[in-house]
Formats: sequence, structure tokens, C-alpha cells
Amino acid sequence: MSESVLDVNHLFWQVEGKTILADIHFNLPQGQMLGLIGPNGAGKSSLLRCLYRYILPSGGNIDLFGKDLTAYSPKALARTIAVVQQDTPHYFDLTTEQLVTMGLTPHKGLFDATTSDDKALIEQALSKVGLIKHAHQPYEQLSGGEKQRALIARAIVQQPQILILDEPTNHLDIRYQIQILELVASLGISVIASIHDLNLASAMCDKLLLLDKGKLIAKGHPTQVLTERQISDVFGVCCEVNSHPQHHKPLISYFYGYQTSNKEEINHD
Amino acid sequence: MINAFQHRYYYCVGFLIFATILTPIFAASFGAANIHFADVISVFKSLFTANGLAPNEVSPLNQRIVLELRLPRIVLAFVAGAGLSIAGSVLQTVTRNPLADPYLFGISSGASFGAVLVISLFSQSGLLSQWFDGVLQVSMLGDNAWWSWSMLSLPLGAFIGASLSVLIVVVLSGFGRSSQVERMLLSGVATSFLFGALTSLLLYFSSPQAAASVLFWSLGSFAKASWAQLWLPSLTVTISLLVMLAFKRQIMALQAGDESAHTLGVNVAKLRLSMLLLCSLITAVLVASCGGIGFVGLMIPHTVRLLFSGRQPMVLTAVVGGLFMVWIDVVARCLLTNQELPVGIITAALGSVFFLFILRHRR
Repeated sequence: MSESVLDVNHLFWQVEGKTILADIHFNLPQGQMLGLIGPNGAGKSSLLRCLYRYILPSGGNIDLFGKDLTAYSPKALARTIAVVQQDTPHYFDLTTEQLVTMGLTPHKGLFDATTSDDKALIEQALSKVGLIKHAHQPYEQLSGGEKQRALIARAIVQQPQILILDEPTNHLDIRYQIQILELVASLGISVIASIHDLNLASAMCDKLLLLDKGKLIAKGHPTQVLTERQISDVFGVCCEVNSHPQHHKPLISYFYGYQTSNKEEINHD
Repeated sequence: MINAFQHRYYYCVGFLIFATILTPIFAASFGAANIHFADVISVFKSLFTANGLAPNEVSPLNQRIVLELRLPRIVLAFVAGAGLSIAGSVLQTVTRNPLADPYLFGISSGASFGAVLVISLFSQSGLLSQWFDGVLQVSMLGDNAWWSWSMLSLPLGAFIGASLSVLIVVVLSGFGRSSQVERMLLSGVATSFLFGALTSLLLYFSSPQAAASVLFWSLGSFAKASWAQLWLPSLTVTISLLVMLAFKRQIMALQAGDESAHTLGVNVAKLRLSMLLLCSLITAVLVASCGGIGFVGLMIPHTVRLLFSGRQPMVLTAVVGGLFMVWIDVVARCLLTNQELPVGIITAALGSVFFLFILRHRR
């Protein structure tokens, strides 16, 4: 078992008396890819925000490399954890290259210039995500998949030990969904990603974390988490779980026609 | 494509360096008294020669006009243009609002209120003047001293008013993480209206002379520039520019949103608030020394971005803003014979047309 880079224990987060996260505990071993799954509103984004300290939990503790998360300075934290967010806000005037250059921010002092080494790093990151041709194009003009890849290039330039992705495959076609996750896996760093598509999560992640209504329902290898029973309990759908012909992790086939209006007929059978 | 882009950038930079060298010479020769370029050059040369002696071929009067009237004026105009432009540029970035400008946060209305208060309370025809005049003139201050004190009190009042409005905005916007930008903009608008109403009230009760001098002041002018008063605006703008250059990456990172900037190790609320304070300081000092000059802070950063898209050239923004202001001042001096036009009128006229242009071309 490899060393754990992130340990979360008894994590709680409450807002105005409402519990968003309740007693979450898990750890992230070095170099592994951890998938965060669960229905809408399960608390996936909130949990990730706790991990990159955008929200401060109301209880429990998060240890990053054995040191409490609150002990890190903003810069030191940004050198350790890079984040690729779900929605990218409107930028008014940036080229792809400039966006990627932002990844240097936590590594630079007040008057530090961008050196030729930095430029090489930026170029390397851009070519790794296949955007070198788009370097001087405005970021706003990129397609959804290209924007996502540009943000990953920025995270590469940030040189983190942990990469957090909040629904990186949203709005992407299936080719880019696979491409983005394989790209992330190829970086060889520890990754936590929230993923909606269970089959994609099953195929790409070493371990999964299943959340529902702020509670941790299951964690472990995809075969332990993605069972017919747990999927139907949490997501409210019927399915059959088989072994995938290629990677032998769970492959989920959903059944249709079981939702609301048809429910009574089924009960009568 | 990269080459064409780089070429244009170097052409523009070359042109700006050229313009920066030539502008003082041309700007110093235009005005009520036309002085030949050659004379201006020889006056400038005499500044740099070792003995510092005045050249013989230029009349002493022209020398004094160039050195004591026009040169400080040019420097002040340059500093004001540069300061307002960088303040506008930084504010547009940290609030992610392309229409932000240094006057957005009620700074100018606060300053106007301070100025009006000073004028209407203490000037010759003001509310307290009779009582005050009696006290002051009978006691130690003569007519001259009184005049110089009121010259100083107007910028001071403007500065205090501007600081007060910034204080209100800062207190209201607070350190709340999620809605800081919105609170900042809304409290700025509210503060603006509050001080606008108070100013109108004071003007309503004050004399026509006081109202006229407030109007003239609020339109902005560099006519009162002198070497003795140049150090404060110059120092403020230079130091602010250095601070902004130091935090260039952090300011850039804010463009990608608060949460994204946070993940890049930026203390978002603190950075935004300190930049607001810095821009307010620039604006308050400039308003106090040359009145309200609108739209420069809006117009110049956008023009620079259009010219050098994909770059955030802080220094270039400052230079373009400075040169622009010097030439606007030349126009203000030369457009009408025997009369100076307030620069604020010209910048506001140009600026509002430009504003409409930007809105039309915004995606």
C-alpha cells in the first residue's frame, strides 16, 4: 500500500443549520485516481471545495501530507493542490497561453519575471494537452473540450502533487470525456475527480467514493461500490452490473421504463 | 501569426517611445503665447548643460513660460493621465467589470462634495464668509495669506471627501467572499448618489460665484500646476504603479474568477480590497490636484487592450494614458483663443462616444 497524501476524518459542513456534509472520512493514496460519484446535490462539489480550502468545514480535519490543511499558506497550498473547475467564468481578454501562464502564480515572488524555463514548461504543458497550435488564440474562442484541456494545462504548469477536478467531463462528447480522463491519469499524480458517468468512473478510477445527501455511502474499488443494490438505493434506477470485456471493472446497463408514471403498473405485476 | 503580432507590438512600442520624447517639446510650444520648437529645445538643452545657464537666443519671458508654466503642466497632465489609466485598468480587472473606472466608487462625487463644502463654507461669498472673514482678516492673516489658504483647502477638502466615500464603500463591501464585487459596485453607486445629493443641496444654498468656481473645478484643469505641488501626485502614481507591477500575476489571476484565483494561491478578498484602496488613493490625490477628469480611466485601458490584445501591459497603459492627457491639455489650451477649455469637457465628450463604441462592439 502506497503512502497516503490526503486524509479526511469526520468532516462535517453545516450552513445555517443544514448539514451539507456529514462525517466524511477517506484517504487518497499516492498516485491513485479517486472518483467521487453521487446524485446531484449529494455534496460532491462542497467536499472538493473543503479539500482546496475554498470553504472551511465546521468539523473534522483534513491532513495534507500529514500536516493540517489550515497550516498551509495560500501559496503553499496552491503549489500542492491544483484545481480544474466545472464552470469557467467569462474572461474578458486572455489568450490560451496567458491562461496557462497563470499556473505560475503560486511559484512566483513579487517582481519575478517569466523565465525561459517557465516558457518551456508552458509550451510542454500546451503540447501535452494538444493545444500548442491554439496558444495565441483567445481562450473564449476555444471549444468546450479545448477549454477544459487548457485548464488542465494550467494545472500542469502549477506542478501540484494533487489534482482536483470538479466534473471535468461535463458538456463534453464521449471522445473528450475519455481523452480528458486518460490525460489526467497519464500525469502520474494523485487525482480526485467528481464524475457523473458511472461507467466512466468505473473504467478510469482506482477507487470510488459514493456520496448521497452529504453522507458517505460506500468507498473502495469500483466492484465494491458499484453494486446493483447501491446504485438503485442512491440513484433510484434499476440496472444490471456486469464485468467490462476490456478492463473487467463493473459495466452498468440501465433498465428503462421504471420511472414515476410506470411505477404503479410494475407494482401490479 | 506570432510574428505579425510581435511586429505590431514592437512598432507600437517604438512609436510610443518616439512620441514620449517629442511630446514635451511640442506640448510646451503650443498655447496662448506660441513659442518656436527650436526655442523650446534650446531651453530644454540648457536644463541638461553643466552650468545650467540660460541660452541667450531665447527671451527670458519665453524661458519662464516654458519652464515654470508649461513644463509642470505637462508633467502633471502626464502623471494624471497615467494614474487614472492604471487605476482604471486594475479596477476593471479586479472587479471583472469592463465598465469600471476610477470614479465608479463614488470617489469623484465624494471629492466634489468635499470641494463644494470648502468653497461654500469658506470662500469670500460663502455661508460662513462674513464671520470668518472678520475673524481672519482682523487677526494675523492678511488678504494674501487668506487666498493661499483657500487654494490649499479646496484640494484638501476634495481629498477628505474622496477618502470618506471610499471608506463607506470599503466598509459596505467587506470581506464577504461570494458577493464582494457586487457589494462593491452597488455601494459605490449608492455612495455616488448620496454625495451627489449633498453636493446639489449645498450648491442650491450657495452663491452663484461659489457654484461657478465649483463647476470650473469639477471639470478639471491643469492650469494651476506648479513644481512645488507636483511631488505628491507623481510620487503616488509612481509608487502605485510599482505595487501594481509587483502584484501583476495575482491581479491577472483574478480575471479567471474568485474561486479560480483562490486555487492559484491568491488571497482574493484582501487583494481586491487593497487594490481598491490603492486606486482610490491615486484618484483622490489626482482629483485634489487637478479636479475631476472623467472617462480617461475607462477609455485608455480599453484602447490599449484593443491595440495589444492578449497582453496586460501596465506600463504601456500608463504611457498611453499620460501622452493622451498631455495632448488633450494642448487641445484645451489652443481650441479657443484667449480662453482655456476645461479638460474634463473634452475627455468626457470623447469618452462617452467611446463608451458607446465599446458597448456596440462588445460580444
